[in-house]
Amino acid sequence: MQETNAINRRTFVSYTAATAGVLALAGCADTDGTDTDDTDTDDTAEDDLETMPEFLEVEDPPDAVYVPTHREAMRMLEPVEAGDMMVAPMLSYPHPFWIVAGTGADSLERTDPEDDRGVHMMFTVWDRETGVVLPVDDGAQIQVERDGESVGSPVSPWTMISQEMGFHFGDNVSLPEDGTYTVEVTLPPLSTRTTGDLEGRLEESATATFEFTYDDEFRHEVVGGVEYFDEDIWGERGALEPMDHGEHGHGDDGHDHGDHDDHGDHEEGHNHDHEDHDDHADHDGHDDEHDHDDGHDHGDHDEHDHHAVPYSALPEIDAYPGTILVDPEEGDVPDVTEDLPESGDARFLATVLESDHRLAEAEAYLLVSPRTPYNRVPLADMSMTATVERDGEVLEESALEQTIDGTYDLHYGASVPELEAGDTVTIETETPPQVARHQGYETAFLEMPLLELQVPEQ
Amino acid sequence: MTLPDQSALSRRDYIRALVAVGGASALSACLDAVGSDDGPDVPSGTDNPASLPDRQHAWNDALARDDDGNVQLPDHHVLVALSLETEVDDEARETTEQALRTLERAYEWGHEGLVFTIGYTPAYFDRFEASPAEVDLPEPEPLADDETPEYDEFDALLHLASDHPSVVLEAEAGLFGERDRVNGLEVETDLTGVFDRLDDRRRTGFIGEGLPAEHTDVSGVPDAVPEDAPFFMGFRAGFTDSQATEDRVTIEDGPFAGGTTQHISSMAINLTQWFDQENHYQRVSKLFSPEHADEELTGSVGEALGASSGLTTDRIEATEVDAREGGVVGHAQKAARAREDGQPLLLRRDFNTVDGDQPGLHFLALQRGIDHFVRVREAMNGDDLDVATANNGILHYLFVDRRGNYLIPPRPLRALPSADPTS
Ligand code: HEM
Ligand SMILES: [Cu+2]
Repeated sequence: MQETNAINRRTFVSYTAATAGVLALAGCADTDGTDTDDTDTDDTAEDDLETMPEFLEVEDPPDAVYVPTHREAMRMLEPVEAGDMMVAPMLSYPHPFWIVAGTGADSLERTDPEDDRGVHMMFTVWDRETGVVLPVDDGAQIQVERDGESVGSPVSPWTMISQEMGFHFGDNVSLPEDGTYTVEVTLPPLSTRTTGDLEGRLEESATATFEFTYDDEFRHEVVGGVEYFDEDIWGERGALEPMDHGEHGHGDDGHDHGDHDDHGDHEEGHNHDHEDHDDHADHDGHDDEHDHDDGHDHGDHDEHDHHAVPYSALPEIDAYPGTILVDPEEGDVPDVTEDLPESGDARFLATVLESDHRLAEAEAYLLVSPRTPYNRVPLADMSMTATVERDGEVLEESALEQTIDGTYDLHYGASVPELEAGDTVTIETETPPQVARHQGYETAFLEMPLLELQVPEQ
Repeated sequence: MTLPDQSALSRRDYIRALVAVGGASALSACLDAVGSDDGPDVPSGTDNPASLPDRQHAWNDALARDDDGNVQLPDHHVLVALSLETEVDDEARETTEQALRTLERAYEWGHEGLVFTIGYTPAYFDRFEASPAEVDLPEPEPLADDETPEYDEFDALLHLASDHPSVVLEAEAGLFGERDRVNGLEVETDLTGVFDRLDDRRRTGFIGEGLPAEHTDVSGVPDAVPEDAPFFMGFRAGFTDSQATEDRVTIEDGPFAGGTTQHISSMAINLTQWFDQENHYQRVSKLFSPEHADEELTGSVGEALGASSGLTTDRIEATEVDAREGGVVGHAQKAARAREDGQPLLLRRDFNTVDGDQPGLHFLALQRGIDHFVRVREAMNGDDLDVATANNGILHYLFVDRRGNYLIPPRPLRALPSADPTS
């Protein structure tokens, strides 16, 4: 299989890029557009190629989404078909991440790579028909092979969230030797509740196979491609912008980040790799249209670019119909996700759909869509209960059911009575998102206190 | 067949590897390795095989118990897959019976000698165009959404178990004409001519404190496997109150009364994630129950549990709430939901394996009918539970690649039974 789209191909900007990071945070300036290869760094690195870059940590990060110490580099492979789905593999170097299993203090465990030789193997899965990224784990499996022989045991990859890649499946995979590896991915039938265009679909298991080569070139590109940010911004509240997932080389250059500044939903260090990012010009604009398949869906690129990989961003607030619930103190529906009511730094988009909406049955439908604050990454495998009250009396208490909709993607839903202005809906998070986290997400979405929302006055 | 390289392996691992290879040359290498031509001192069996219990699966009385009274399986196991080479007739039956009796005469029924069963698949009974009378023995099928197993479609399977690796090797060699004497007893009748061995379906394994940790040279077996764990996943299992009794799994009615059914699923286990990525608390929550973890009930490898898995009615009933409110459920807690009148349905005699040079498990369970196994497996799947797959017990780490169903007839019917021996 052909490998495409070497993100951070022009690597080794790492150390100089620290400055760029600061600038970028200050306002998405189109920095380092020259991308003068730092050939010195390049050369030294070449002599002694690292297999795993240093993992710098933030001291005392906030209990919230924060800017990590670095931007991870990766190689994207060409997406492959798996039945009605697409699988987009991405490879980075092995690095620590955090696994969540449960709710208590011991439920979060930092995982360090067993071996510095290998990859952090990731893939994103989406439905080809709707473009919806499938952000839940129903039991995906991978087996790595070399020359027809299994390498290591089969693996159930973790579900993970990362600021750059959004929701993905992944794990660190040890690769004892350089060479070409084949990976077989098996996706079981989707057992999560589906609605809309996904209803009754993806009920068959599917497999896909991809290949990659682990060698000096890979390490040069991926290990060498890490960008460390200036220490000043480490641990600041904010997030890296999603990496660009398309293939490029065309697209108008530069000056396209303006949109972002306008709606200011990222206060992060996106930026380097400008050329890659240039394409954002197109998407940024249509971020605002918030189709489920957007985020970094590449709209107009799609026709001529088969490598476009959707980023798992959920639609923005204005894409949701119904009555959006508000913070009782605020009273107004904000424009952007970052300003939505929060618990544990997750933002909660909650809307009540009247009984005439397709998602509602006899009663109204409460759709709750928790997401990361800046990149709108869906937060999967939570459990929540909603309590509806009117004048201090409980009207209904419902467990919210995890659902993937063909338009609104991941959300949690329940039937509720028709609501009136002033009614309150309290969301109790029993289990925070049981998904593994890359650096910058591991301290958020763990302790998630009760969240009180209100039906606003019209 | 090539023998393992002795210089590259620890002694016990070398012996384990010899058991995996099997055959006469593995046997003699094994005897060399254990240090005597005659092998260990193995007690001989009974002069009167008819004195052995009618139930082939009646092993427990002959097996040792640990300090807490939990039954201990023999250390070494071989599953020999058999394909019938002849018509089923009285002569073939007689040959089979005499061959098996030879083993019973040669080896004491127990750890120091040998225990074994022979079981028959639905494929075997196909030749009678009938299923075994009054036994629930369907063809094997997938039992979870995420698996596409192969099936045991050969005719029969011998399960040989002993604490002495040389005994399982010698018994097998004796049955197939590779050895004139077994434990000093002349082999007058063997199975050749009746059964063919299917070498590529032969499976082997081991169980017991310390054995898993000796296999850290196998790829996929992390150094972190605890020294004293009997199973790869690092904990004891098979506590008395979590096992069905032999009575509970015995077929009560019909011509096969006194027999049982056997399900064998073979699976790979991902131990890397289990040991290198998760902590003890997470392992205990996922294997036993979140409360076992919170209350530190297990000790490091389950030794603190004594004779009880600690699965109280409350902990079993808490499964759904633990899923929804705690985000994790334990494998044992969840499987115990299938108990009937508070009694487990399965008698598990599973063992570890490194067949295929990967860590795995041959999960061998006895139950009155295969439907009981299916019911337990459904409880273990926990499709009804509101919990992330990765936190749904240990499903995330297991990869089933083979399933087989068997009838283990009562001893008097063990030699090539027809589907309805009474008619
Ligand atoms: C590597 C795989 C497995 C491991 C490490 C494992 C481990 C355990 C452990 C530690 C227990 C609790 C203690 C005890 O056994 O007394 C248990 C119980 C049990 N397991 Fe497994 N198990 C595995 C696979 C399976 C499979 C494939 C099944 C098939 C359905 C299964 C069925 C059961 C049942 C029925 C119980 C007892 C529940 C009760 O007490 O009623 N296990 N297992
Ligand atoms: Cu990842």
